[in-house]
Amino acid sequence: MKPLLLHGHERSITQIKYNREGDLLFSSAKDQQPNVWFSLNGERLGSFNGHTGAVWCIDVDWETSKFMSGAADNSWRLWDCQTGKQLEILETKSAVRTCGFSFSGNLVFYSNDQAMNQTCELSIYDLRDSNQIQFNKPFLRIPMPESKITSAIWGPYDEFIVTGHDDGTISQWNIADGAIINTEKAHTKPINDLQSSKDSSLLISASKDLTAKLYDLSSLDLLKTYKTDRPVNSASISPCKPHVVLGGGQEARDVTTTSTRVGKFDAKFYHLVFEEEFGRVKGHFGPINSVAFHPDGSGYSSGGEDGYVRVHQFDDSYEDITFEC
Amino acid sequence: MPTYDGIGKSWADEVEQEGGLPTPLIHVDEDRKLKTLTEFKINEDGKKVKVIKTYRIDIQKMPKTVAKRKTWKKFGEASNDPPGPNPANTIISEDIYMVLVHNKENQLQTEESEDPFGKLKDKQKMVSCRICKGDHWTTKCPYKDSIAAPSMDGAPEGTAPAIGDDKAKQAGPPGKYVAPGRRGGVDSKTTVGERMGGRDESATIRVTNLSEDTTESDLQELFRPFGHIHRIFLAKDKVTGQSKGYAFINYSKREDAAKAIANLSGYGYDHLILNVEWAKPSGN
Repeated sequence: MKPLLLHGHERSITQIKYNREGDLLFSSAKDQQPNVWFSLNGERLGSFNGHTGAVWCIDVDWETSKFMSGAADNSWRLWDCQTGKQLEILETKSAVRTCGFSFSGNLVFYSNDQAMNQTCELSIYDLRDSNQIQFNKPFLRIPMPESKITSAIWGPYDEFIVTGHDDGTISQWNIADGAIINTEKAHTKPINDLQSSKDSSLLISASKDLTAKLYDLSSLDLLKTYKTDRPVNSASISPCKPHVVLGGGQEARDVTTTSTRVGKFDAKFYHLVFEEEFGRVKGHFGPINSVAFHPDGSGYSSGGEDGYVRVHQFDDSYEDITFEC
Repeated sequence: MPTYDGIGKSWADEVEQEGGLPTPLIHVDEDRKLKTLTEFKINEDGKKVKVIKTYRIDIQKMPKTVAKRKTWKKFGEASNDPPGPNPANTIISEDIYMVLVHNKENQLQTEESEDPFGKLKDKQKMVSCRICKGDHWTTKCPYKDSIAAPSMDGAPEGTAPAIGDDKAKQAGPPGKYVAPGRRGGVDSKTTVGERMGGRDESATIRVTNLSEDTTESDLQELFRPFGHIHRIFLAKDKVTGQSKGYAFINYSKREDAAKAIANLSGYGYDHLILNVEWAKPSGN
């Protein structure tokens, strides 16, 4: 395969996300403009200009009409996908770490960091009620005093939010009353990424403790564990094959002291069920910070500490990979 | 087609421009699904060049919403980009392949890399018992209890007592259990074992703090002046073939080795300070 290198960021990539159809790929980095690209040919559609700090999290709604981003400039912003115009802005008390659209696109959440005497909070807004954004009055605000949220996604049917924490726990929060539904001590080190399968039945968590784990998204039962030899920064489940891809690598601060050979910057493909690695794809010269499967499973993309997004379209031989056990 | 705007242009310029750059031609070949675009450009030398670009027309079916998005106007940083990928932002990288990993192979590989001595043992016979010359460490020698530890390091070659041949005969293949009573060392009074027959470990020096780029021939060059070198062993990384930073050098004579240590210990070689010392007898 001939990957497309998207070089629209000057700093390390923090998150990449496809829209529902997979024709657009959104990317954010520690520089100030999230970008959006056509995934087919790598053409840049535009950038969302306005943030004044590192952008930590992005999400796009179901119809690809709205896009949101949260950044270290203590703001959460909502954008129009077609024009790149800023629709809404919320000032927060600390950096926004995670954000997400519900499936309907009506509800949004963001979480802010535990910093500057500010506890980590999960705030949930209903976009249909314009007062909530305008006066910054979320209909639900859940404080997280124990450990800050490092990653979060919506559960199925917009009923709960799954959060991954700095201390390695995964929790489910009911958005009707803010109560905790379930909590699980999943990892021994911070959780870097949570992603669900396309049908919202499975959850994969990527952690600094060198493992990625597969959970049932509703019951939070541990199903599988993928062991690696590197901190895992991101993990994604293939929408059509029993495959998962893990991206990671040595920590950014150790990179300069090691060569790329030992840096373990390749993306690792595991069989979903057998927990066995079957393939690797090289390319990045820094750790991979975010991976995402194309929604039709024909390729995947990875964004790295090196500032590049690499869009891969699988070869035909990928279809022929059979698993012997 | 430039039109006359009346300011600062003469008819001569117009003619010049008209002759300069004909309008681009687009030819679409429906059958072969090819689109040919013929453009004319002035290159850096001021010469007119004809540029023919051929595109393959590839029709893809996609949802209406996706097709609609294709027509969206570019915005933000990309607002000034021409249609199509901007080469400044989008680079098509070279062909790469998914490297298929079979777990069994993988395990073998890690085992190998975890045991570099195992490899050396096969290839270089680096591990050799000083007592029975077998393929194991001296401490693990089955005869070590029966034979007094050889007085190492100092003994010059000539002074070592001769070895009883009978012992070697009784020894059998190394590694096999031999009952204490059958071990040859009981009556034989030899102390130094068979090491005289094998490599003289006493004339071996260890060189550490070598740079990664060092090769055997470099070492040869560096250590040759002090005497005849019997053998050079440079530890290398299995994968990259780069030096691991240490080497053993076997001189034929212990005096030569001593000379080499005296001269080269602390010698600045390739931005590093060499550390040259007697090799510790393997095994203890």
